[in-house]
Amino acid sequence: MTWTRRAGELAVGLLPIVLLLGLWQGLVFLKYAPPTLLPGPVTVFSRFFSLLGDPQFLQHGATTSFRLFSGFALAVAVGVGLGILAVGNRVVAAILRPLIRVLAPVPKIALYPAFILTLGFDHSSKIALVFVDAVFPILLATYQGALSVEPKLVWSARAAGVSQTRALFTIVLMAALPSILTGCRIGLVIACIVVFLSEMINSTDGLGYLLVRAARNFQTVDMFVPIISISILGLILNAAFNALRARLLVGYPEDN
Amino acid sequence: MKRIADIPGFPPLMACIGLLVFWDLVARYLAISGLPPAWDALKEVPVILADPEQLLNILSSIRRMVIGFFAALVFAIPVGLLMGRSRAVAAFFNPLLMTIYPVPKAALMPIIMLWLGVGDVSKILVIFLGVSLPVIYHSYQGARAVEQKMLWSAAAMGMGAPARLLRIVLPAALPEIMVGCRTGLVLALITMVTSEMIARQSGVGNILFNSLDLAQYGLVYATILIIGVMGFVLDVLFEKLREAVAGWAQPVHQIAVGSA
Repeated sequence: MTWTRRAGELAVGLLPIVLLLGLWQGLVFLKYAPPTLLPGPVTVFSRFFSLLGDPQFLQHGATTSFRLFSGFALAVAVGVGLGILAVGNRVVAAILRPLIRVLAPVPKIALYPAFILTLGFDHSSKIALVFVDAVFPILLATYQGALSVEPKLVWSARAAGVSQTRALFTIVLMAALPSILTGCRIGLVIACIVVFLSEMINSTDGLGYLLVRAARNFQTVDMFVPIISISILGLILNAAFNALRARLLVGYPEDN
Repeated sequence: MKRIADIPGFPPLMACIGLLVFWDLVARYLAISGLPPAWDALKEVPVILADPEQLLNILSSIRRMVIGFFAALVFAIPVGLLMGRSRAVAAFFNPLLMTIYPVPKAALMPIIMLWLGVGDVSKILVIFLGVSLPVIYHSYQGARAVEQKMLWSAAAMGMGAPARLLRIVLPAALPEIMVGCRTGLVLALITMVTSEMIARQSGVGNILFNSLDLAQYGLVYATILIIGVMGFVLDVLFEKLREAVAGWAQPVHQIAVGSA
């Protein structure tokens, strides 16, 4: 693709975003929408940037990030571990497959009250929810990626005297990495969304709580700011993960 | 001889029973009021379903979900197909879709409620938003992968562009579209439950937290079971539909997970 064509496509792609922002600002500017119901994008974004220097806001952001990353790290450890194990061991696979079939389409958010009742109102119930929501895409991607690894790779390693367990972790895990990383990226964005929702439903801190608090006090500007914050966090994490993937898998085709 | 594990439906059934037994044993071992044994929760399920008010609540939830889901299909499939066949359309929509991808749709509920009130419209709109994205994405991927030669042959035989989209691209992309619809269906249920948990007005999500506030723990777990069964049954039904509509294609193992 030529450089000019790429620049042209980028410009076309920015168009709807600019148009939407313009429409939003226009509605406010021409007083079609009362500012109490729809504050303009300029107001919202300047509020967002001024809050970035507010230690209290950052504290809420840090709480959310802590829950997000704890849950996600657990999900990666369990998801990748179980996925690889299921490929190496027929019994594990026989138990795991029907469990996934039953549990994957279940809305995990419905388990949140159960987590609150068993784990309490604090961090652990939210981390547990993030974990169960993020673990399925990671587990499935690992399992499917590891299943499609060329068996000859494993045979040659086994013929060269590598033990079964070692072959699993040095060959199958590495060969399944593209699929695993895709699963992790999906899981990470899901984790972002879920941690925010769990804080909205039941919390006294975190970004989701800020949104609910603003809604109760009818502060519309402050309702937009947490949503924008979590979305930007999601975008940054998504981009960072793509960069990591490009670095780890040099030469492997990009995925969408 | 047929192995017992090959009987369709047997392994998932065993998984369900296994989960319930495991839950029951853990609950009896821990013996805390926050985790009643599975049997106690199961006993509450018919109680909920026999209560006309609760049943009406659940049915109105399902009604909203169905409306939001089909509205999203009507919008998202044409957009996705057009994106797949036209570079300009794809370039136009892609960055916008990428930007709104990590936005928690159900979190928009309080803002949408400010504008449209607490009624059905807000909830249906949120479900619509949640379902649209995966359906657009998969329709896009499906339409992009259509064999170019088929389109050329059709054009050579004098078929116009709209007819090509309807009679070649749509059927060829159908298996991938069905994958998107399946993800969308799971997402519709998730968004429905989540938006009701946030709005706390009516519906299944509201029953969940009302019974939590009233400390009726058996009822909480029974509602969780009902929602779980709904998710599983919808997925199984959709898989049957997929087989009927696009059974000629290789079954795609797709990650049917997502979040609102």
